[in-house]
Amino acid sequence: MLGNLLASGVGYLVQIAEVGLLIYLLSHGLWKRHAGVLVYLLSLLAVDEVVRRYFFHTYGLDSLAYAYSYWLTDVLLALEAFGLMCIFFRRACAPQLWRVLRLSLIVVFVLIAAISYFSLSHHKDNLLHDFIYEFEQNLFFSCLVLNTLLFVMLQRIEGADQELGLLVCGMGIGFAGPAASLALVHVTLGWPAAYSLLGYVMPVCTLGMLLVWLYAITARQRDEKGATRGSPSRLRVPVLAGAHGASEV
Amino acid sequence: MHMFMGFVVLIFSTALIMFYLQAACQRILRREFGHEFFHSVVNANRLEFPFVRKALEEFNAPVDYERFRMQLKCDFLALTYLLKNAGNAKGRLSKEERFLTWYFRVVVLKLIVAHWLRLGERAAVLKLTSILEYFANVLGERVDTIRFGDMTASDYLMSL
Repeated sequence: MLGNLLASGVGYLVQIAEVGLLIYLLSHGLWKRHAGVLVYLLSLLAVDEVVRRYFFHTYGLDSLAYAYSYWLTDVLLALEAFGLMCIFFRRACAPQLWRVLRLSLIVVFVLIAAISYFSLSHHKDNLLHDFIYEFEQNLFFSCLVLNTLLFVMLQRIEGADQELGLLVCGMGIGFAGPAASLALVHVTLGWPAAYSLLGYVMPVCTLGMLLVWLYAITARQRDEKGATRGSPSRLRVPVLAGAHGASEV
Repeated sequence: MHMFMGFVVLIFSTALIMFYLQAACQRILRREFGHEFFHSVVNANRLEFPFVRKALEEFNAPVDYERFRMQLKCDFLALTYLLKNAGNAKGRLSKEERFLTWYFRVVVLKLIVAHWLRLGERAAVLKLTSILEYFANVLGERVDTIRFGDMTASDYLMSL
């Protein structure tokens, strides 16, 4: 009972964060700059609110149709997240480096998509047994490894985009949580507690990712506003410093 | 082989969750301020974290665990109280400040574990001082942007 309540609470928080971030991007005219993030958010909302909800209400939580719709949309979202990561790579790289990387990323993406398609169609009869957990675990882990490479690359670039760094961090949280919990299900051979944990970890990590993104985007806006306003009060001596003679530590 | 791969993914992914959470906190702490606002806050409130950092970084002093932990804890309590109540109409911490208070507590836990294992205490203490410096900078910046002028306390509160 308490577990269900907690899971529903986290689910609602994820939806609020998705809608909040979407509204923020649209109301501040940031949709062009963050087109990739916007598309991904719209897909998350469409999957949660339309596709899964439809299957849930039509066929019920324990139905095979709902389970198929849940896992297949999850694979699609993971592939879309991979595409978003490619956009982040594009933003981080110099044009010369991007030309080299572009081809490799396209090859990796096509490879992952093809392997996903063939594996899923090959195992379509026993998709919901161990296969889907192992498959998703490998998919998320591949994305996580690439994301970590991007993060390390950003660390090495001097004066790298702070906002981009946080967006990549958020994405890492979004990939790492599901990969770890799916692996736990896999190595414990379907231990019930591991399944329960998976139900919490996936939405909590999505929430973490959305909150880090929200912070990244709002912090940049705030800094830009501060820079354009050029706060004249900063030139004044602060009251506290004045009162204490501003003796430096 | 499948099982081995599962263990590898489990270990690396769990480690990477921690890594990314810490990286997110570090990125927030890296925010640039107009100038070093924290000096005035440190002087006004007799905070001790700059001395702790100076002792470790410049004089390469050994970590005095009990003393440093108490000093940093007191600074943390003073700064979080001030962040909530000084020039803050809402009377509560912002989301990022709350996030960093959790991070502070996690690093304190890490310090306790590091002390037991006698491993990497210095890094944890320095991390704690950088969180406190961020809090002091936020507070200093807030105080700096408020035009007190000849305002009395009641004038200021009425203006919020």
